[in-house]
Amino acid sequence: MSSMSSPPNDHEREAQEHLDEMTCMLYLERQLERTRALGVSAHTQSCDACRTLLRAIERESRLLTRAMLEEEEPLPARIAAFQERVHRSMQWIWMVVFGLAATAVYAMYTGYIEPWEQRLETAGLGGTNLVSLLIFQSAFWKGWQSMISLVELLALLTAAGLAMMFLRRRIRRGAALALVLTGFCAAFAVPPPAAATEVRKGQTAEIRKDESIQGNVFLSGEHVEVEGDVDGDVYAAGKDIEIDGHVTGDVISAGRTVWIRGQVDGNVRSVGNTVNVIGKVGKNMTYFGDTIRIDEKGAVGGSIIMFGSDVNIEGRLGHDVLFMGDRVIVNGTVGGSIDEKGANLAIGSKAQIDGPVRFEGENEPAVSSGAKLASPVRFTKHVHKKEEFGQTSAFWACVLAAAFVVYGMMLFLLMPGFAKEATHSAENIGASLGLGLLVFFGVLIGAVLAMITMIGLFAGFSTLFVWIIAVYAAQPVVGALLGQWILGRTNETWPLIGRMILGIVLIRVATLLPLGWVIKLGVIFWGLGAISLAVYRRFQPPAPVQAPYVSPSAPLTPLTPAGGAAAV
Amino acid sequence: MNVAETRDSGAIVGRARAGDAEAWGDLYREYAPAIFRFCRRALPTREDAEDATMEIFMKIRDKLDQYDATRPFSSWLYKVAANHCWDMLRRRKIRQDKETDDLETLPLEHPDPNQLDQLIEKRTSEEVRKALDKLGSRARMALVLRYYSDMSYDEIADSLGVRRAFVGVVLLRARHELRQALEGTGAMAAGGAR
Repeated sequence: MSSMSSPPNDHEREAQEHLDEMTCMLYLERQLERTRALGVSAHTQSCDACRTLLRAIERESRLLTRAMLEEEEPLPARIAAFQERVHRSMQWIWMVVFGLAATAVYAMYTGYIEPWEQRLETAGLGGTNLVSLLIFQSAFWKGWQSMISLVELLALLTAAGLAMMFLRRRIRRGAALALVLTGFCAAFAVPPPAAATEVRKGQTAEIRKDESIQGNVFLSGEHVEVEGDVDGDVYAAGKDIEIDGHVTGDVISAGRTVWIRGQVDGNVRSVGNTVNVIGKVGKNMTYFGDTIRIDEKGAVGGSIIMFGSDVNIEGRLGHDVLFMGDRVIVNGTVGGSIDEKGANLAIGSKAQIDGPVRFEGENEPAVSSGAKLASPVRFTKHVHKKEEFGQTSAFWACVLAAAFVVYGMMLFLLMPGFAKEATHSAENIGASLGLGLLVFFGVLIGAVLAMITMIGLFAGFSTLFVWIIAVYAAQPVVGALLGQWILGRTNETWPLIGRMILGIVLIRVATLLPLGWVIKLGVIFWGLGAISLAVYRRFQPPAPVQAPYVSPSAPLTPLTPAGGAAAV
Repeated sequence: MNVAETRDSGAIVGRARAGDAEAWGDLYREYAPAIFRFCRRALPTREDAEDATMEIFMKIRDKLDQYDATRPFSSWLYKVAANHCWDMLRRRKIRQDKETDDLETLPLEHPDPNQLDQLIEKRTSEEVRKALDKLGSRARMALVLRYYSDMSYDEIADSLGVRRAFVGVVLLRARHELRQALEGTGAMAAGGAR
């Protein structure tokens, strides 16, 4: 303002006696010291020019504020929709992360595990070695193939998701969606390998001697008989199950007694009372039940894993025995090792064992002098728990506490945001405990149900896996909260980890007290509930974004310059 | 913002910090219009303001844990917004550095009060907004921080990176620039009318 920056000479003379503009502005904005402000106030009582200047500056301030606060244009649509977009983009990020993780798992499998498995196979261990039997050969779990397929599918989904994101920028959203969906439909439309499945029920469910079944067969009845040939797996449930024919796949059974007089090329997985092998089993046997007996005419090409009462080997076992139960009796040939944790081990005079024998039990093993052993039996006498109590238990308590600390640190560093949310949710003790109780039993039962119904095996196993992770994460979460109660709140990751460590130590000490298991269970419910609450909150749908209406009168604190005319 | 409103905001912020998506939505709906207007006043173009608003809320979402709940949420929000906009302007090197040099040379004047009064009286809010667009970045930012966000002199000094003692000088200089711009628009308007 040129007229103000170059005032006339007479005005300059006056200005020496008047307040300058800076003083007026600072006075209006209450930035002057008290004595100076009182001086200004006194001066304006008697000086019209300065009073007018003060009013003019104040009006200028008001004009500025009004001009800035006025809402002359609506909120742009993209800002109004931004919150929703942020949420959606987070979903994409999660999907990409999960997909990449799945791809990494798949790459690890194909790059490392599969070649190793093939090398084992070449070395003659494939399919019958205990390690590969446990992990890779599906003797324990038939869902590995399903899992690999799912990982492949997830990798495909990730690629499709990224493609969709890419396409959405270039073509219309609907068209891109249609394109991707068509791709999925095409992928799913590829026919799976043909595998007919036959189901037979009744008092006696049987496959007659003259029958030959291609594909899997489900048999259920009081009496189940397979006298013919099955080119696939046999799923059998009944009181007495007899396999007299030839099964090229696996036998999965649940029944009181199983007789295998014929030939099973694959594995036998069974739950029940007794399995008698008089014929041949090509691969491995996994059994949860009372007794496995391999007759002197019987042969099992692979290994035996058993959790039950007795294993009696009079015939030939190609590889190893892994046993937890009561007694192992060997009076035949074992091509591999024996690992037993039980009460008794008896090795008869006709026995030949080509691998090492490790036995941990209460009684000395009974080994006949006529038995042919590759090496002497390594016996570890079982020590009663009461005798163990003392330094050992204290040591293990420390190890467990350290393990929980490491596990908690890993979780808190990998997911700091989620860890804080879970810790925050744990403050709601009632809701956490209630929800934790529900999730603990509900998810466990659901997962087990899914697993025993073969169709949902992968879903069941995955759910159980996540459930176990959450159960073990419960202590770090509750520990972090306890630590916060003692040392005070924090939002920083490392201080929170420090509090978590303190809390875990307290919890572990508390669990050593009498009835410590009650405390442990309570902490698990509490933490599990807090984690579930945090997950629930994270996956809540975003609140719909309304039209960008905002009251023009109440955006934020409307302001007037501090001071103002009233102060003058 | 009264005490009840502050308490409500505090509760919403608390829930948003705990990961409540709905609470975050509430916060966004409540504050996005104000932050957009702030950016609109502080930055040269509408597009810049839109981009900045979204970036500010992304920052807010990430930094929500750092918010000190004992202070008003809006103050913290404006502080983040001011820093973001000022950084944005600084990155583009459109800050008028010469302003820094002559901060101490502002003459102490007693302008003609009647003339100033007359100038202010004739102007509308729209004219003021147009005049604001013609100011240098620091001058405009200083006025926005003070008269839109109600920031204290200390906060303005912190945001603009000047000494607190010079905040008054920056503000007064900004007013002078604004008056010159208003005189220009007035002359143009008068010229147009003729």
